[in-house]
Amino acid sequence: MRLSHITKSFGANKAVDDVTLDFKPGEIVGLVGENGAGKTTLMSIAAGELAPDEGAIEDRESVGIVHQHFLLVNEFTIAENLALSMWGRDPAEVIRDSGIDLRGFHRRVADLSVGEKSKLELIKAIAGRPRFLILDEPTSVLAPAEARELFDVMRRLAADGVTVIFISHKIPEVLEVATRIVVMRRGRIIVDGGAMSAEQLAEAMVEKRSPQTERRRPAGWTAGGSPALKRNELEVHRGEIVSIIGVAGNGQSELAANLRDTLRGHVAHIPEDRARDGLIAEMTIAENIALAEPRWNPRAAARRAAELIERFDIRAQSPLQRAGSLSGGNQQKVILARELERQPEIIVAAEPTRGLDIEATRFVHDELRVAAARGAAILLITSDLDEAFTLGDAIHVIYRGALSARLTPGEAAERAPVLMAGIGA
Amino acid sequence: MNVRRIAVAVLAAAVAIALLAVSGIAFGHSPRELLSILISGSVGSNFALQGTLLKSIPLLLTGLSVVIAFRAGVWNIGGEGQFLAGALGAFLAARYGMIAAIAASLLAGAIWASIASAMRLWRNAPEVLTTILLNFIAIHLLGYAVNGPLQEASGKYPQSDAIPIAAMLPTLGASELHAGIILAIVAAIAAWFLLYRTAEGLRLRASGFNRNAAKWAGINVDAQLVRAMAISGAMAGLAGGIELLGVTHRLFERFAAGYGYAGIAVALLAQLHPLGTLASAFFFGALTTGAGELQRTAGISSTVATFGQAIVILVMIVFTRSVRSAGVSPAGVAASRRHGRAEES
Repeated sequence: MRLSHITKSFGANKAVDDVTLDFKPGEIVGLVGENGAGKTTLMSIAAGELAPDEGAIEDRESVGIVHQHFLLVNEFTIAENLALSMWGRDPAEVIRDSGIDLRGFHRRVADLSVGEKSKLELIKAIAGRPRFLILDEPTSVLAPAEARELFDVMRRLAADGVTVIFISHKIPEVLEVATRIVVMRRGRIIVDGGAMSAEQLAEAMVEKRSPQTERRRPAGWTAGGSPALKRNELEVHRGEIVSIIGVAGNGQSELAANLRDTLRGHVAHIPEDRARDGLIAEMTIAENIALAEPRWNPRAAARRAAELIERFDIRAQSPLQRAGSLSGGNQQKVILARELERQPEIIVAAEPTRGLDIEATRFVHDELRVAAARGAAILLITSDLDEAFTLGDAIHVIYRGALSARLTPGEAAERAPVLMAGIGA
Repeated sequence: MNVRRIAVAVLAAAVAIALLAVSGIAFGHSPRELLSILISGSVGSNFALQGTLLKSIPLLLTGLSVVIAFRAGVWNIGGEGQFLAGALGAFLAARYGMIAAIAASLLAGAIWASIASAMRLWRNAPEVLTTILLNFIAIHLLGYAVNGPLQEASGKYPQSDAIPIAAMLPTLGASELHAGIILAIVAAIAAWFLLYRTAEGLRLRASGFNRNAAKWAGINVDAQLVRAMAISGAMAGLAGGIELLGVTHRLFERFAAGYGYAGIAVALLAQLHPLGTLASAFFFGALTTGAGELQRTAGISSTVATFGQAIVILVMIVFTRSVRSAGVSPAGVAASRRHGRAEES
């Protein structure tokens, strides 16, 4: 099977940019890269789930894919879930043929461990006897012993001539099982080769950012003093922006939710999931801005919203427009207007520029800088490393829910790749 | 926007009336004849109009109860039980006078509804189920009371003695209409003020539209749930109390007579707006008295009024988005939380 000059864009963002890859039977290909590097998009195209904008797939073969998220019916048993995709075959036989050890097929999926669920997904994928098997982050929920078991299955399939694609963030595992390693970055292939060291792989995966050299300090800013925000090793002082970076799913959302529920006082929150948590789509811009105000007066709120629309350059017809009818970037500006205009002492901003265009991103960054200059303590949780390095005075790497030591941007530029991949201390 | 919403409501009401009239063909009456009986029997005379207004009072209050709950995203289907709790509370406090009885009805309705919010917060039990189940408990509790401890002194019928005259609501002038209509209209205006002119109302509505976003904006959504349920229950309780103090003066089995459930139709036809409830309660009041007249003069069962309610609800659900989204959100969130999905963080 061959992917030839594949390109796929989402809006202005080129998720996959002119990628050509040849696959041979019996290969185990470790496909690695940062978040948003284009791995999953590329594999969805290979599986035929997404159509490429340009390019073609040559010598297409039968493809099996195991997604990062379980696609199982919780209320059904193992046998019933198998029957959904292969009606009429004996589930016991299907499981036996797969060579995967999963017992008690009359158990409900809801009662299975995550390891067992991922085994079931794998059984589903290989029951169709694909010649090309894609595993998207299969080990992220597995215990080491279970991962080992999975690797044995992968090797056995490869020995039968199946091409196995193993998407992972875990460098040691990729090095252990893959016979070929492909590194993607910003939609392109950076490295395509065989043996390499963990450090080489980490550096290839995560682009080096040069630390920012100068940043304006707020008037009267002094280092030290007691921090405005303190959680275990995390400290954010007044006038400071601390960035938290890491591979998605390492506890960033949990950290933000925890801070939302526990921080008291004058705190602003910019939620990560704008569509779900950002604005009340059915309410007007004025109502959304007034949500956290102690008083509500429709006329005063409309006046205030009109001012903020002007100042934050929100593209809206009127303060009484429904918030849900605004574009994503303008919705984000409404959130910023609401949260920052209260002159908060602490700001927790999660992915504040995700999905925004360059102009809107610059605007958000300027607002955060202004807030810091005013003396706010800002915690920036972001998967955009450029953003983290552009804004951050200090950087922590989050991995499996734990924060690294506080790093200067210079140190972080050096060590972030290795810390994010969870190799070496 | 508002014009469209009113148009949909008028359309729903018109469709209900038209279908009702056409259904008369099955009973050997022309639609025109039925329509004229419906109209003359509900608003055609001073007497008919008084009957309509009397029926509108409890409908207005149970309608407001539903408006407040649904606006907060709380699926309170327990108006019937809260209505009975309010009546029972008013009855027990009636010996201390009218004001005490009214206060007791508010409180009893709020407490009955709060059982459901307590179960929601404690065990995440969906209020759409618990409030309905609490209705059955209230119905049988009242049935027991009027057959047992609260049965009239003569012990003849399954009903209570009449409340003291001092606790009865005064009538307005020489009419049959009692002062409860003033209370109900004041309640509608108060509900509008609460929802649209106070910060609490803003947060209540925000929680109803999007619990997650409300939480991120710093709103205590659980507190909103508790508050909305209590106010909603108090409104339904007041409806029961006023019905007792102003109309029936005594408790009996089947006291609620469907007012609690009818409140859902009233609220939906009002597009979940407190002031719209004034018009929609009047419409359903007229439908009920008109249906009574149909039974007397045309021999068609007065239960056709419920048929009208059902038509209105169906039309409203099909044509308005706000009603549909209000319908799915609370129960949907509860269901997904039970299955451990990270719907809320």
